[in-house]
This record gives sequence, structure tokens and C-alpha cells, in this order.
Amino acid sequence: MRIATSHLGNLYITIKAWVQKLGLGGNLIIPPANNQRTLSLGVKYSPEGLCLPFKMSLGNLIEACEMGADTLVIAGGAGICRLGYYAKIQEQILRDLGYNFEMIGLSMSEHKLFGLPKLIKRLSNNASWFKVISALRFAVAKQIAMDKIERVVQKVRAVELIKGTANQLYAKAIEAIDNADDYNTLKKVQIDYIDQLNHVAKDTQTKPLIVGIIGEFYVVLEPFSNLNIESELGKLGVEVRRRTFISEWAKFSLFFNSLGLDEKSKIHKAALPYLKRDIGGDGWESVGEKVLHAKEYDGLIHLAPFTCMPEIVAQNIMPSTKENIPVLPVLCDEQINKTGMLTRLEAFVDLLKSKRRARNNTQHKES
Amino acid sequence: MIKVGIPRALLYYQYYPMWKAFFEELGAEVVVSLPTTQTMFSSGSSRVVADTCLPVKIFLGHVLSLVEKCDYIFIPAIRSVKRKAYNCSKFLGLPDMTKAVIPESPPILDIDIDINKGKRHLYQAIYKLGQRLTWNPLKVRQASLAAWQAHLEYRQLMSSQGLTPPQAIAKMAGEVEPKAPTSTQATIALIGHPYILYDEHISHRLIYRLEETHNKVLTPEMLTTEELESATARLVGKAHWTYEDEVAGAGGHYLESEADGVIGLMTFGCGPDSLMMDMVHRRAVKLKATPFISLTLEEHTTEGGIATRREAFLDMINRRKRRQIEVCA
Repeated sequence: MRIATSHLGNLYITIKAWVQKLGLGGNLIIPPANNQRTLSLGVKYSPEGLCLPFKMSLGNLIEACEMGADTLVIAGGAGICRLGYYAKIQEQILRDLGYNFEMIGLSMSEHKLFGLPKLIKRLSNNASWFKVISALRFAVAKQIAMDKIERVVQKVRAVELIKGTANQLYAKAIEAIDNADDYNTLKKVQIDYIDQLNHVAKDTQTKPLIVGIIGEFYVVLEPFSNLNIESELGKLGVEVRRRTFISEWAKFSLFFNSLGLDEKSKIHKAALPYLKRDIGGDGWESVGEKVLHAKEYDGLIHLAPFTCMPEIVAQNIMPSTKENIPVLPVLCDEQINKTGMLTRLEAFVDLLKSKRRARNNTQHKES
Repeated sequence: MIKVGIPRALLYYQYYPMWKAFFEELGAEVVVSLPTTQTMFSSGSSRVVADTCLPVKIFLGHVLSLVEKCDYIFIPAIRSVKRKAYNCSKFLGLPDMTKAVIPESPPILDIDIDINKGKRHLYQAIYKLGQRLTWNPLKVRQASLAAWQAHLEYRQLMSSQGLTPPQAIAKMAGEVEPKAPTSTQATIALIGHPYILYDEHISHRLIYRLEETHNKVLTPEMLTTEELESATARLVGKAHWTYEDEVAGAGGHYLESEADGVIGLMTFGCGPDSLMMDMVHRRAVKLKATPFISLTLEEHTTEGGIATRREAFLDMINRRKRRQIEVCA
């Protein structure tokens, strides 16, 4: 059995760690990191009206099949936008292309990750639960370490004197985490890199602008699909904040949600005056986050795939909220290009700067 | 008398008789917007972000045309009418979106319909809606029973007599229905959501044009629920979308039936349709029995563009039929 799944940010490292800890490392196929070819393949074989996450993940699966994968795991489920339908169509497309494989749909609808235990048991060759869970714990620890480092990187990028230092360190850290084999090394790597990041030469005079990234899960987490927007913002001296991290999501989907805790209840409550119900995807959260962060941040960037249904509703509702904050919507699709996006980011950052200046001036006058 | 406005768009075609019976039983007067015009589309379109889909833009145009004419506007948020099948986000967010982009609109009567939450929740939702017009729970009950009766009668009219929703609505209102033109040419099945097929502004009067050239037109509503459901099950397995039957079900059924050709109508940017049409298309390619064409409509589509494709498609079907006759002879 050779298993593969599509990419989502650096999730592949976690999956790899998990599978390796179970002693099944040879069974896992990791398709090449998202690149232009992935996108081209996905676009070529997808129905035209579909969203970018579909096209990208299809590209991943095609590349995985080319590498000899025979078991594909695809996320899906009811009640959550088009994602629930992905598996059906992707299976059809891949079969029509002549690949032979077994398809495993991972349902993550309102039951959250309900079907997971059975799936794990099957994929892990009936390893004992103790082994599965301890391997999973280690894998999640890796994800948490990566996300912790990324949070520091987001801060450092904005103020580093030599642009690009944080990104280099981050890449090295990811590699080191990928190679780490036990908790001790992992912990050492984490402390070591956070320490190094904290000692990067920084501009301590200016207070960086703070921009929140909100929007659809996939394009927020997949740097290839949003043209590495966080890093570009860092170059412009902007500190990026976001709520969506794989480790956070996994923590709640796997454990806390089943205990009845909902990390998003605060966000939903904030959205309530403007959007009363869940509309699937991350639409409700987008509206809620705008309301919540209006006071804290200088601006927001709303990322969404082109034709994303929930985010279009959110986009229509967001301008009407009382809580006001500049929002730049960025639609991601195969046509998006770097120059166009950079121009818009620069203009947006200029606007935020002048806004902050104006606010500081009025404060000076008042005091 | 309280006036309740119902926009002639989106779910109007599925549920109008039901809604009308409900509100009239509660003593309200129902005001329906006029058929879609270019002005309605432009006014609706100016309120929302560009990549909102065409039917929603038109819906908002209808709401705008009702603003001065009624005391309430009825916009339901229908999440699910079938177990484990959900609706597109735009239907769920419709009341809130309308409120956000049309602040001048009269108060919105909204209702959450979600079958997955159970009967109790459904009854409560209906009662909550009724309460906005009356204090009397018995009256709400009476109204909802009348509404359900009207809906059954409406479905019955369409599936047994082969009427389209606008014809059935006209018949229920006691109007004289126009006589169906004689059909001597091909039988063409149209698949797609009713708010696309029967909105002449969106579909560029495709049904009328087909009938004008003596073709018989079949639509999803002319099939019974059982036929639709079994066809959906054969094509895609378990339905994922609330209105999957109208596209995947009808498409699957007509591809295997006596229809000479199937035309799929969808609008650009429609999430569910982009997937379902693809499923139907793949089935058509595999069966190689019935010709299939899918037309994507948007605000820049012109009647001429549709006409060219319609004519080419019909020519192809007629040539095919002639050849079949020759082969038989």
C-alpha cells in the first residue's frame, strides 16, 4: 500500500512524522511541494468553474499517482461548501485519466473527525492504539513546534534589518524539525531557532503596522496559492497575525470539539449582529474576525479563492459592519500574479501608514 | 392589511404556492415582484461584489423593486430540506446579505430550515415565523397545513400534467394557461435550477425559443421525486446538495430516457453546479447515447450567443435523427 494525500502548508511534515513513527515510512508518498506544474495539471483537468483548492489538490493527487500511489486520502464531508464534493469528482477525474487507486474519503463535517479512528486503524496495518496515539502525539508536537516558530517569524519579518533573514531561518527550522526524531531533539530545535530568531538584528525604533490575515482555510495556509503574501507583507515592514494554524485546528477538531468546546464561539458571537448563521466554509469566521479585530489591528487582508461561495457572502456583508477597519480582499486563482498583488499590497500598506500618521497627529493635538 | 413581499427569484419557483398559502392564511397580502428586467439586474448588481453569482444579483434587484411596496420581505435561509444534504452558502446567508447590502429594505421575515436538526426544530422555526404576524399558535398551525397542501398540489400539477412552474402557478391562481405549441421536432430536456430555467432574463427565453421551433421541452419538475432521487443515486451516490436532483438527478434521468438531447443551464460562478454539471457531462461522455451540451450563462451572455449554440445543437440532433431513420429503413 502506497498512501498519498494532497498538500496543505507544512502538514506533510506532520503526516510524515506520524507514519514514520508507526514504522510505515515506506508506505507514504509525498507529492512534490506545490509548484507551477501542480497548478497547471490541476487547472487542465478540473472543471473551469471550480475553486483553487480543488485544482491544487487535484494537481497534487495526479503527481502522487505518477509517483505510484495506490491509496489516496481525500478530505470531505457534508455541510461544508464544495469541499464535501471534492472526493466524488476528483475520483472520477483520476479514473478517467487511467490511474488505478483506492479512494479513502475523510469525513470532517459536523461530527468533526468522526471517521478518523477507523481509517487510522486501517491505514496503520492494525497497529495498537497505544502506538498510534503516541505516534500521533509526536507528530502533533512537530506541528505545534512549527507553528510556534512561524508565529515568531511573522513578528521578526516585519522588523528585521536584513530582509529575508527570518525566512532563511524558518526554512532551516522546518528542515531541522522534519529531521528531528525524538522529543528532546524537537524541543532543542524549537528553543534554538526561536532564540536565533530573537537575536536577528532588528529595527527597534518603528512600531510595525499590524495586519490580520483572515479568510478561507486553504489559501490562508498554503503559501503557494497566496503567492507568499505573509512574507511579502513582512518585506513591507508589516507584522502579520492570523488565527488559522494547523495545530490549533487539529487540537480542536481532534479533541476539544468532541468535548463540546468551541474555539470559535467568541468569533461567532461577534459576527452575530451581521450574520446569524453558519454559512459553511469559513464565511462566518471571516465576518466575526473583522468585528473582533477592528480595534486591535491596523488592517485586514481577506483571502479567498475565486468563486468561493461562503467568502463571497462574507465579502458582501463585511462592509456593512459598524466596527470599521480597512479590509483588502485578495482573490486567489490560477490567474493571480505577483506584480499585481504587490502593487495592491503596497497601496494598502501606504493607506494604513497614512491612517496611522493621521491618528497619531490627532492624538498629539489632543494631548 | 400587512403586505408581505416575495421576490420572484431563486426559491420562488420551488415554493411560491406554499409561501403564498401560508401568508394569506395568516391574513397578510402577498406582493410578488414583477418578472426580471434589465433595470432590476443592474440595480441588484450595483450593490454587491463583482463575483457574486448572477441569480443572487437578480434576487437583490427584485428585493430593491419591492422596497416601497410592502411591510415585510420574506427571505428564508434554507440550509437543508433533505437529510445530510446542504444548500449553497449563498442561500444560507441570503437574509443577512440582503440586510447588509440593502439597508433600506423593509424588515426581513427569515426562517431557518434545517431538516437535520429534527422535526421539533422545524416546527419551532415555522411557529417563530408565524408569530411575527399573529399571536395565535393555532392559526400558525392552520396556515402551515394549508401551505403544505398547496405545495403538494403544486408538485402534483407539475409532475402529472407536465407543467412548468410558471404555468402551474398561473393555473393555481385560476389564470388561463397558454396552449402548448404543437411539437413535431425533437424532444429536448433542459436541466438546471428553476430560477435559471424559468427566469427569462437569465435563460434568454430558451424554453420559448425551443417550443417556437416545434420542439418538445422537458424540465426537471416534470419528473416525480422518486424518479429524480433514484437517478441522483445512480449518478452521484448520496446527494450532497439540497437541490442536487434538479441537475444531477434530472440530467442522469434524461440521459438514459427517450429525450433526443439534453441542455444543461448553469450560471457562471455557481459552486454546486460547477461540480454537478461536470458529473452529468462525464456520464454523457461515457454513455455516448444522448447528446449533451452545457451552457454557462452570465451577465454578458447575449441572446445571439445562446441562439447560435441552440441552433447548432438542434441541427446536430435533427441530422442524427434523420440518419437513424435512414439506417432503420
